[in-house]
Amino acid sequence: MKRFGLLLLSEFKLFRTTIPVHIIGIFQPALMFSLMALVLVTPTFDMHVVHPITPLGTELVLEMEKVCSPIGDNYISPILVDPVASREIPGGQLISVETVDGTSIALQRYGLIDSNMVKNFRNRLTSAALSIWNKSLMGHSITIVQYPRLSRDIPYSVYFGMAMLPLAAFLAAALIGAFSTAQEFEFNTIIEYRLSPISMILIMGVRLVRLSLIGLLSAFVLMLVVGIFAGGWPSSLAWAALILLVMALLGGCLGTLAGLVLQSTLPAFLIGLALAFFTWILGSAFGLAAGFSGAYEAVSRWIPNTYAVELLFPLYYGVNIGSSQPAILFLATACTILVLATMFTYRRKILLRQR
Amino acid sequence: MRRLWILFKSEFNVWRHDPITAVGGILPPSLILIAFALLFGGRLSFKIAVVDLDQGSYGAVLRQSFDQVISPLNNMPYYHVEDMDRENAMRSFETYRVEGVWIIPPDFSSRLESGENPNISMYFNNYNDDRAKNHRIYSAEIIWHFYKQIGQPPPPLEMLEEYPLPVMVDWIPVIAVGVALLSVCLGSIFNIYALTYKVQISNLTLEFGLAPRSLGWILIPKVVLALIFGLISGTFFLVVINIWLGFWPGSFIWAFWLLSGLTALFWIGLAIVFGLQSRNYMAGAIAIVLSAIIVFFIGGGLGLIRFHQNDVQWYSWLFPNTHAIDPIRDLVLFNSWPVDWNITLIKLIGFALLSLTVGMSITTRKLRCLG
Repeated sequence: MKRFGLLLLSEFKLFRTTIPVHIIGIFQPALMFSLMALVLVTPTFDMHVVHPITPLGTELVLEMEKVCSPIGDNYISPILVDPVASREIPGGQLISVETVDGTSIALQRYGLIDSNMVKNFRNRLTSAALSIWNKSLMGHSITIVQYPRLSRDIPYSVYFGMAMLPLAAFLAAALIGAFSTAQEFEFNTIIEYRLSPISMILIMGVRLVRLSLIGLLSAFVLMLVVGIFAGGWPSSLAWAALILLVMALLGGCLGTLAGLVLQSTLPAFLIGLALAFFTWILGSAFGLAAGFSGAYEAVSRWIPNTYAVELLFPLYYGVNIGSSQPAILFLATACTILVLATMFTYRRKILLRQR
Repeated sequence: MRRLWILFKSEFNVWRHDPITAVGGILPPSLILIAFALLFGGRLSFKIAVVDLDQGSYGAVLRQSFDQVISPLNNMPYYHVEDMDRENAMRSFETYRVEGVWIIPPDFSSRLESGENPNISMYFNNYNDDRAKNHRIYSAEIIWHFYKQIGQPPPPLEMLEEYPLPVMVDWIPVIAVGVALLSVCLGSIFNIYALTYKVQISNLTLEFGLAPRSLGWILIPKVVLALIFGLISGTFFLVVINIWLGFWPGSFIWAFWLLSGLTALFWIGLAIVFGLQSRNYMAGAIAIVLSAIIVFFIGGGLGLIRFHQNDVQWYSWLFPNTHAIDPIRDLVLFNSWPVDWNITLIKLIGFALLSLTVGMSITTRKLRCLG
């Protein structure tokens, strides 16, 4: 145990040789969240409407202002414009209320925008126009009684930040693991490992513990930023730390593997980086996997981030997503396989190479 | 000129020894594109359960409306409905297997006929406000269609739409063009690092520092080669986009190369500063590559910038990608000449010149100091 402690101390002292890499690995995810949280989608859309000249047009604008969440934001911010100035509108979206053959029509024109934007504009206008229709139908109109699961609509940034925590843990451990290991080959310090009388398990164990703790630190920095900027905090720090520690261990294993196999910092870094972002996007980064297409859900079931997010979810939202046992089982299995694969590769690339 | 050509060839030979770095502009963007294609390219309908308890006929008409109302997003219905009994539906909702549950009550038809304001219960997830918003505004589309189906008196205000193209451009092509620009940038960055990598680990920076001639002779071939590899990566993505999604800039391809090349030159200028410094070489590489990926996300990689101009943060405008992305989309997706071509070109030339001048000056100074 004493030897383990001394080795761990020595591993952490390696930090001094690559301080900038550590700083980037630890703080970059938090920086990325801080920058991205400000440009995330917000429910409120600016919608341009030509100054109404009819009572129905005026009523439409009033109804547009009322399209909102009863426990959250407005969905439309109507902006009244002159027809002459309408050509300058970004995206070219414009609504004008016109009368054609005695029928009042809300004509919505779009510029060169994509179908997702069209969908958003269309739905919002329909919501406002439906309110007018409902009023005219009186008792024959339908009321939709809303039962949202949570007492208020949680800002997207909370989910986004929570789903970035596994990325932070994974990315820092993978990058530093890949870099540290590949550098040993480039500087030829790998010879020390080859000649070491200490067991492989001890050497790799210490390396992976160090990487896991660095990954955890990166996730904690992000957690702090998410808490401060988005107001989302986990209900149990210890449980969150355990989940993120597992993700960091996975990242550390993959990074070390990349370093051992490629033995060159730049390609090893490339692999670590690509894997980190790939698993992040596929691992419920933008919403729970079940909420997307079948193909996405099927693929995401093979990605550890998905399970980490599902385990973190109750800590942030206070509601469980089914049983947590499959997630725990998957992460435990993935950890076991990757730790063994790392040990095996270390043995092949370092220990057996000297004979 | 001959000297430049010799240096260019020797740089190319350096690159050939580490060809894996050529995938720097291909691998991360490919994985990002695949991930986004799986995320947003599939069926984006909300999975919900509908519990139809109605004892009349209107409940069934409402149920049909869910399948009939088509979203412009991927031309699929807004909802992917699973018919369930109440117990199963609520269990699926509790375990997040469905996004929401609509319950049509037993007296729905009778109350609708008698004008007693029938209610429908809509349970839905609001763990993020964007999805909650979609539940609320999608429901309006369903009810609108339902009213028309059952022959309610016509709405006081009808709706019409005008889209400038015969076919609507989907979201995935918009993202794919963003990824193509990312690919040009990452391809250039990774390759400039590949070209300085051997120099670093062989300690050749000392020899550079002692070179009797201008260091521009050393830097220019590296910049040109990195730019070429970046453009090859980006063009590869354009071919992928063409085969997969059917978009191609056609005769505007030179304009794509020009805009994306100028954008890449900005990143090359930044990268070269770190690429030829012996200290913190990899830290610089990591920082710049991660920055380029962050800029992809904050600089219009996932959506059109022009519409969201007011939401784009000031720091996003500090990078040329934010300025270049929509004109590139005009060329690739809409095959139309960007209305802001001139101003975009001037800005991108400015970014590239500034970055290369500053980058090369700092690098030269550093190398001379080392020498």
